[in-house]
Amino acid sequence: MALSIVFSIAAGQVAAQTPSPAFRPPMPICYQAVEFIGPPGTQLSVAAQGAFLEPQPLPQVASLLVGPLYRIRITGLTGEAGREVFPTVELIDRLCPPPGQELKFPIPIELTEDDLQLALSGHFVTRVIYVEDPALALPAVGDPEHPSWFDIGPGLDPLKEAKHWGRPIAILRMGGRLPDSTRGPDMHFLAGCPPVVLHGQPRRAPIATAAATSAPGAKP
Amino acid sequence: MTLRRENSSGCIGRQMATVAMIALLLCSCQSVMPPIPGQQAPDSPAPPASDAAAATDSRGIVPERVPNLGPNVPLCPGPLPIPYDVKCTACASDELLCDGGDHHLPVMVSPEWRLYGLDPQDTVMHFDTLDGRTLVEPSNCVCLYAPRFGAVRSVTRLAGSEQIDVPNGMMLPVVAARQQELKIPATSLQRYQARGEVGRRLPEDFVVGVNPVPVSSMLRLVGFQDTFLPFENLRVIRQGIYESDEKARLAQAIEAAIVWTDVQALQVTIRGEAAVALTGDQRAQATYTIKDLRKPCLRVIKVASTQTARPGDTVDFTIRFDNLGEQPLGNLVLVDHLTTRLEYVPGSAQSSVETHFTAAPAGDGKTAVLRWEVEEPLEPGHGGLVRFRCRVL
Repeated sequence: MALSIVFSIAAGQVAAQTPSPAFRPPMPICYQAVEFIGPPGTQLSVAAQGAFLEPQPLPQVASLLVGPLYRIRITGLTGEAGREVFPTVELIDRLCPPPGQELKFPIPIELTEDDLQLALSGHFVTRVIYVEDPALALPAVGDPEHPSWFDIGPGLDPLKEAKHWGRPIAILRMGGRLPDSTRGPDMHFLAGCPPVVLHGQPRRAPIATAAATSAPGAKP
Repeated sequence: MTLRRENSSGCIGRQMATVAMIALLLCSCQSVMPPIPGQQAPDSPAPPASDAAAATDSRGIVPERVPNLGPNVPLCPGPLPIPYDVKCTACASDELLCDGGDHHLPVMVSPEWRLYGLDPQDTVMHFDTLDGRTLVEPSNCVCLYAPRFGAVRSVTRLAGSEQIDVPNGMMLPVVAARQQELKIPATSLQRYQARGEVGRRLPEDFVVGVNPVPVSSMLRLVGFQDTFLPFENLRVIRQGIYESDEKARLAQAIEAAIVWTDVQALQVTIRGEAAVALTGDQRAQATYTIKDLRKPCLRVIKVASTQTARPGDTVDFTIRFDNLGEQPLGNLVLVDHLTTRLEYVPGSAQSSVETHFTAAPAGDGKTAVLRWEVEEPLEPGHGGLVRFRCRVL
């Protein structure tokens, strides 16, 4: 049963099946900015040209194509020296920010400490990131840098649950697979090395105050 | 039929081209995209590239290396790079944070001044007319680009022997609940049969009545701590004059108010009052006279200080209301039911006229309702401004 759950949302199948052309136009080939978020000290390497690029400290902003599967490597785990996790990232939809502000609104791909530890212990972790439906939005005051998430129980499809709360836009999978050290560079494991553009660490603008010249004050 | 075939073949051709481009991308791992023009390239040092298959570590992984990302080296042939400027044909509304207008059930006011149909995101102003009616005027809808993300996590283990079966026979007590909901009917059924045309008036008879209100009504920002803010630099906000060149800026709020619609026609006034056609026929000339229309008309415009926001940002909203009618309006109450993702910043409300302001949680406990009760009647040609600040959740 567990295997059927995993294979029901196999990597690459979601983008091939959705969106339905009956409801939405074909997805154009385009980049979508994402922001990889991880615990302090962790580093990210993206597969490109048959190898992993130089590790970059998280958080990291990158532009990925919508559709292909990306293999990344996470190193520098706290208390797990020398151990690595090889998640995959798949974008199944895109955002439409105002022109010129694509990097200001990336899709947050968060790898929590708990996720990484579960992956190291042999679990398979699937995260489906979705754009929240404003009609279902709760007035939750959370950390703006860390989107809210929740667990679902066994036997439930995370993609289906995500569709209930919004529009699924990215899938993060980790655990289960490690590179075969006896075969050398494995292009299948590296998911074909689709193009990627790294933009470095996000340049956080200070929290925008509506009008710097206007201080709140009640009318006398 | 021919046209359909052409479209179908063109679509198939595009799909084949798309598949070919994707296949080219996935199969050619010899390249890394050059940086997008105008974007920052990775600033890490770039060691010389080497053959990927030449050196592997103990696990078979090629050591890290950074390919040459110089702009003069076209590493990826074909139509790429494709920057972000792909036409967004169907921008999803779930990325927008909207506030204002009257959504779902129309807002109605009971004789006890109780509001029905006030949903989150609604911004309306109700007022009393001289003939005793209570009318409701919604504002326009202001939308910000502020997507918010969530995630669903599923943790499984690839070990069938540890599969835990779902227990059977679980009892879930269901509490009987009785739901009562009182809704005012929004539609009515006309049972009378049409007998025939009673009267026919030619289109030439319909002459739009132009309000004889002053053309300009400059507001003095009495009670505000500052003068007009930069995002309020619209003549319709500063002076109450609606100009066509500002229509595009105001239309960015997605739903322009109906009152912004221009009606261009011959406008006749006699001694500064609106004149209506006394006779209407097909002749070129018409006789005009002064008629006491006494129509109440209120315009409510809402603007925001920014068009994009991230969670945690604060946004200023400004609402301007003007009496465009020909009679004074009394008991004006401006109500803004904030959406769930907007949190009112306490103490930020300001107004240019004497008002009684309250901010109270709504009945659902999740949202807030801002309420301004204008203390003085609003004479024709006069208006007011309110301003408040919200935090995006």
